[in-house]
Amino acid sequence: MWLSLAKNLLRSLAVLLVVTFATFSLMFGNGPGIAKAVLGLSATPEAVQAEVVKLGLDRPLVVQYVDWLGHAVRGDLGRSFYTGESVSSALANRVPVTLALIVIALLLTAVFSVILGVTAAVRGGWVDRTLQIVSVLGTAVPAFIIAIALVFILAIRWKVFPATGYVSPDVSLVGWAASLVLPVTALLIGAVAGAAQQFRTSVLDTLSRDYVRTLRARGISEREVILRNVLRNSAAPGLTALSLTMIALLGGAVFIEQVFALPGMGQLANASAQINDVPMVMGTVLVTIVIVLVVNFLGDVGITLLNPKARKR
Amino acid sequence: MRRIHARLAAPAAALALLLAAGCTSGTGTGSSSAGASSGGEKEQLTLAFETDVYGWDPSNQPGYQNWQAEAVWDQLVFCDANGKLTPGLADTFEITDQNKTIKAHIREGVKFSDGTPADSAAVAASFEFVKSSGGATNDYKGIKIDTPDAQNISISWPTPQPVLASKACNPKIAPAAWLKAKKFDVPVGSGPYVLDTAATTTGSVYTFTKNENHWNAANYPYKKLVVKVFANPAAAVAAMRTGQVDAGLVNQSDVASIKGSGLEVKLFQGQTTRLLLTDHLGKKVPALGNLKVRQAINMVFDKDAMAKNLYQGNAEPTPQVFRKGTDAYIDGMQDPYPFDVDKAKQLMADAGYPDGFSLELPTIAGQNFETLMPYVTEQLAKINIKAKQVPLSGANAIGDLLSGKYPVVLWQLGNLGNSALQIYIESTPEGWWDLEHQPDKYVDSRWEQLGTADAATSKKLQQEINQYQVDQAWFAPMVYTGTNFAYKADKVAIPTESDQEALTPKLRDFK
Repeated sequence: MWLSLAKNLLRSLAVLLVVTFATFSLMFGNGPGIAKAVLGLSATPEAVQAEVVKLGLDRPLVVQYVDWLGHAVRGDLGRSFYTGESVSSALANRVPVTLALIVIALLLTAVFSVILGVTAAVRGGWVDRTLQIVSVLGTAVPAFIIAIALVFILAIRWKVFPATGYVSPDVSLVGWAASLVLPVTALLIGAVAGAAQQFRTSVLDTLSRDYVRTLRARGISEREVILRNVLRNSAAPGLTALSLTMIALLGGAVFIEQVFALPGMGQLANASAQINDVPMVMGTVLVTIVIVLVVNFLGDVGITLLNPKARKR
Repeated sequence: MRRIHARLAAPAAALALLLAAGCTSGTGTGSSSAGASSGGEKEQLTLAFETDVYGWDPSNQPGYQNWQAEAVWDQLVFCDANGKLTPGLADTFEITDQNKTIKAHIREGVKFSDGTPADSAAVAASFEFVKSSGGATNDYKGIKIDTPDAQNISISWPTPQPVLASKACNPKIAPAAWLKAKKFDVPVGSGPYVLDTAATTTGSVYTFTKNENHWNAANYPYKKLVVKVFANPAAAVAAMRTGQVDAGLVNQSDVASIKGSGLEVKLFQGQTTRLLLTDHLGKKVPALGNLKVRQAINMVFDKDAMAKNLYQGNAEPTPQVFRKGTDAYIDGMQDPYPFDVDKAKQLMADAGYPDGFSLELPTIAGQNFETLMPYVTEQLAKINIKAKQVPLSGANAIGDLLSGKYPVVLWQLGNLGNSALQIYIESTPEGWWDLEHQPDKYVDSRWEQLGTADAATSKKLQQEINQYQVDQAWFAPMVYTGTNFAYKADKVAIPTESDQEALTPKLRDFK
């Protein structure tokens, strides 16, 4: 088991290097464009060239990347080309907002998708059909459309929740929760729709196994069979579905943060990418990769613990 | 079963908290700018800002919609809506030496937010800073600064400056030591507000508290200024409709819903939609070197129909690019190029281009091109000019647009209150919107004369340049248009428009 996890860790490090280098390469070669954008319309060619040198964008790709990586390893992610803000400081402000958004959405997704998936698989009939139709709808409608509808109905029309903005939990716990209700709901609908289907399929598969028939034949109550045996054995595929959902939520947060003006990492990544703010883009990419790799790693650990076969590998 | 309950406890608690929040929050996060406090002061002004701040480097601050910079920094002098100088940190000033020098007396007793004096040494350091840093270094090339004492300063350029006023009113004044250290994490200035770092979340909300000791504190009635960043226009509209912000820019498409929510919308006509035909010599596109071709291009656009249909009435047809009331504006100018496609075709044939030619038209998202560009390309096609759209994006977009690669550009370019500045930017070889930077004896000689001209002569010269540009069809002007600024009229008043760019109110305009 430990060997398998160590291999996963090494694989994760390789992914991190490849993705960060690829991202760096995509932004390379645009020194004058970035310098002109930093200095403004009236900048002379001489001033632009001086800025290119000042930002270190005149150096070869590998030199720039190794320089960035060397500083990143020491915890120095640099400063924004445009605002001069420390990337670490920006991420320290932004990452908690995004994490709050997606972790709450993920927890609620886990709860609702298990309940809905198990109910549909066990009950079957119209309950199952309804869930499937709702799932298709939930998956088909983009989160930002749902977000706009939520804002219109619950913020503008009914004035129940704030339309935009984020309140730090340090300032007000209730305000914090209120600021997250609509964004979390917007993310939740699509996530539950997808994950509930996965749980339903997994539970149906487990229910068709011989040992379930045997348990039932032994007179063990259906409730106990479902909660103690079926749910546990369906958990591994469900966990995989949830780790994929977490990654999808991370992507969805980019749009949702825009719609709700949340000062999260997605908004920062989007704004930085549009203006080729290399240090900021690299910082957000790095954190995103780390989150994805950690989630995958934890998912693997979870599956290993739940599945005896995986433990032996 | 108990274990399952335990696993469900965390998400259930989260859900409960979210639902409870919904029940208790209402819309209580709205701005609290309602009441005026004692002494005519108001509590809070909350503005929607459509992009994040550009950091706190004073040499790199855009003029457009930059309330944060206005809040924290003073300027030696300010430019009013027409580009005329008004007092700032300097209570008196004069331009002397044939438009080469500005002499100013600095108010006594003014201090920066770090407690150091805002004196002539700080002003000198601030001008020296923009001379060597940021994007406007060319404007301050060769300046000499003399500070005979702590309150007096003299700044001289090597040659007469037609737009000296604009160059004098741009630098933000900051302490010399702070500028030298170049650590711009927290702004230090002597402006009407001070950044409250504890109540600020970078990239989201910037909070400022009033500097009660500011020399012009009475002109800024709000005790607190909050600027919220909305990268998404729909989010800004939602915030305005729910009372989370008091004012901000909105798109034309949102004007009706904003008005329906009880807000007022003010149109700032600070732009003239036009094609820039800057290859007058035909070096990139030979056909553009022919006057008849440029005139033909001017005649294929139905300006009245554009104003009525493309801009839903929020625009006004114009044959000239300069703003009404400015020195360069010519009253009563008749459109020399009325909409007439047949005559345009004849001009193309006379010029030797009956079959037209091809050109590339750059487009950038978010510039109203979705509406304008199809009409423009369709009309150009009527005289066989095949316009291929070239999308530009990312950090390079504006740089590419101004690089001279595209000698014809469609743009809603500013019509400035200071028309001399507009001439400098658009019509002199140094101007960044004179895309091909081609010299022209008529315009260049008048520009040189503007450096030493008195007010009456300056007006005459500017109008001559305007008339010449119209005759030579350097542009294809279409309509005056601009930005829509929404505000809660029951809480905020905007009695003046002192921005020479006329795109948003200045901070000093909010009452």
